[in-house]
Amino acid sequence: MLFQIETVTNSGVQWAWLAPTLSASAFCAIVVLGRFLPKQGAFLSLLAIMAGFGVFWYVLSEFLSSGGGIFSVDWFTVGESTFSWGIIVDELSVVMLGLVTFVALMVQMYSLGYMKNQEGSFGWYFAVHSLFAAAMLTLVLADNFLLMYIAWELVGACSYLLIGFWYHRRSAAEAAKKAFITTRIGDVGLLIGILLLFNETGTFDITTIFHIAEQGGIGSGTLTAAVLLIFLGAMGKSAQFPLHVWLPDAMEGPTPVSALIHAATMVVAGVFLVARVFPLFVMSDTAMLVVALIGLITALITAAMALVMTDLKRVLAYSTISHLGFMMLALGSFGFTAAIFHLVAHAFAKALLFLGAGSIAHGTGDKRDIREMGGLWKRMPVTSITFGIGLLALGGIPPLSGFFSKDEILVAVLDGRGPLFFVLTLVAALMSALYMARLLFLVVLGNLKTENEHAHESPWVMTVPLIALAVLALGAGLLAPGLIPGYDGFGNWLFFEEPEAYHINFLVMVISVVLSIGGFAIGWALYSRKLLSADRIRERFSGLHRVLVNKYYLDDLYQWVINRVVLAFARFMALFDRIVVNDVGVNGTGRSVFLSAWRLRYLETGKVYNYALVMVVGVVAVALIWWLALPYA
Amino acid sequence: MSLIHFQVLSAALFSIGVYGVLARRSAVMVLLALELMLNAVNVNLIAFAAYGEQVQATGQVIAIFVITVAAAEVGLAMAIILRLFRDRASVDVDEVDLMKW
Repeated sequence: MLFQIETVTNSGVQWAWLAPTLSASAFCAIVVLGRFLPKQGAFLSLLAIMAGFGVFWYVLSEFLSSGGGIFSVDWFTVGESTFSWGIIVDELSVVMLGLVTFVALMVQMYSLGYMKNQEGSFGWYFAVHSLFAAAMLTLVLADNFLLMYIAWELVGACSYLLIGFWYHRRSAAEAAKKAFITTRIGDVGLLIGILLLFNETGTFDITTIFHIAEQGGIGSGTLTAAVLLIFLGAMGKSAQFPLHVWLPDAMEGPTPVSALIHAATMVVAGVFLVARVFPLFVMSDTAMLVVALIGLITALITAAMALVMTDLKRVLAYSTISHLGFMMLALGSFGFTAAIFHLVAHAFAKALLFLGAGSIAHGTGDKRDIREMGGLWKRMPVTSITFGIGLLALGGIPPLSGFFSKDEILVAVLDGRGPLFFVLTLVAALMSALYMARLLFLVVLGNLKTENEHAHESPWVMTVPLIALAVLALGAGLLAPGLIPGYDGFGNWLFFEEPEAYHINFLVMVISVVLSIGGFAIGWALYSRKLLSADRIRERFSGLHRVLVNKYYLDDLYQWVINRVVLAFARFMALFDRIVVNDVGVNGTGRSVFLSAWRLRYLETGKVYNYALVMVVGVVAVALIWWLALPYA
Repeated sequence: MSLIHFQVLSAALFSIGVYGVLARRSAVMVLLALELMLNAVNVNLIAFAAYGEQVQATGQVIAIFVITVAAAEVGLAMAIILRLFRDRASVDVDEVDLMKW
């Protein structure tokens, strides 16, 4: 479908750029005028994103009635190449537009309650939220790689600002740096990939590149390299193994920020990028296999880590990485629709879970360790019920949204990659049900701990977003099959190359349901009934447990590499800078000028007529040369 | 009278001026010699304006500019010389060598 976009410019296509622009304007307005406004201008941010959500509905209705298109204006011309700003409105960007504006709206509304004690930086927090939304909206709408890359970097910068929002806390500052630098490693790949494509085709325009590639205008080796480099960028942003290490640390930011990063912005940017350039990916079997493999590895190893973590937000973080792995795996298995549908379903559920975790922290006085929680449903009914819905949805219990999307992915993997991938995906899916069950039985259900007696429900600005997201987490899955007449299911609307009906593979469905319910049953047995002892299992597999708790020692490995390789090289470069650049280059130049001036100044007499004489001699000499050199006319 | 006569006059004036600037010791005399050089240029300009291939006013205009600038310059230079004389009771350019290192 992505191929056949014509430049129909209906008014939806023409005005979709308003969504990012409004949020960007809100950012500027809050930064400049915020201190003079009530609530430091936070309402501007909310109004902008609300308007953005309105733009989404307008674009959607226009799109459904008269199709999508491209709306672009020339930006500047260098030599032969003209660069343009432009937006593309197709199924993918409409879905993302709705997702980003809705989740950002929910998160910002929630933040009004969650962040109300941040006197000094309340406005700044909302300003960056606006900029974040603007960057992400630009990213999903961009019709060329150049604009996309700008938005991509802006997303990274905003996540840096928000993760390090409490920058006076050392761990937050470090986490922000880690997130920025780790994703930057991927970004370098993305930049090189884009430039490779530009070098081959002479344009940044995505659809033009698709056409050229379709006609074989790009060599297969170059194409594979470019696509893999772009995937490197996606790996950084979407926290795929081995660049996933920044995401759990990003929990240092305020909890609503985690919700935003995990659901609507930042991490879905990677999945979106792969989806956007999917036509190029499918031309390279190697690239597709790499995408699937990286997705599978990520899904498996991080799901295992989510099982042993005790920090509520970290469990959710690893679960996010694991689900991003599922999405990449689906893309790598040609399951375009499945990946995007899972992206949406996961976004609702994960935003819900993070906001719920924030509400729990709010109600219990900043508790983060799941072992200190339990029985919270008695004190925080709304939070607990919505949180539970989120857990069940991501655990894949039918008929919640996660069940449908996970089922689609399983079918795609079975069809696209065969039994081995399928079985491993099932293992990851089982673990995902298990860690969700762990949260359900340890946090929401069970007995109320005495120190949590004072726990209280959060204010309505926080619970309303929870309820809205819970409704979507409950019901969004029903969009996958076409249940109402006139609507043929998600796959008949958003698809790659040819429409696909909702896959009903009874074997897969049965296995998936059994695994989900089985996962929750094991969780129940382990954490609620204590039929099985979690401690006994931990002792039995103490070695494995240690490896998991230490995150496969990847952080230590990276630290070692940084200490031993990067810093050693940096020290050498510092020495080089001091000796060669500074002493020889800069000071050397200065010193040589100074010394020669010291010698030459004795030539100066200070007598005016000496200078005048030299001038006269010079003029005469020039005249003579003129007279001798030119033919006498 | 033809162009060449004016040019000879102009060259002569200019050379006298150069000699004066280089040879005179008194700053006031150096200034006078400088004026001579400027006027040599003026003569040249006006001669070319009158006898050139196209007769036009450009030469005269530039000559007026030169006179104006010369007036300003004399004012400035006399002020400098006056200060110099108050300071050292001499306007001998040999003794003014503060511009060296």
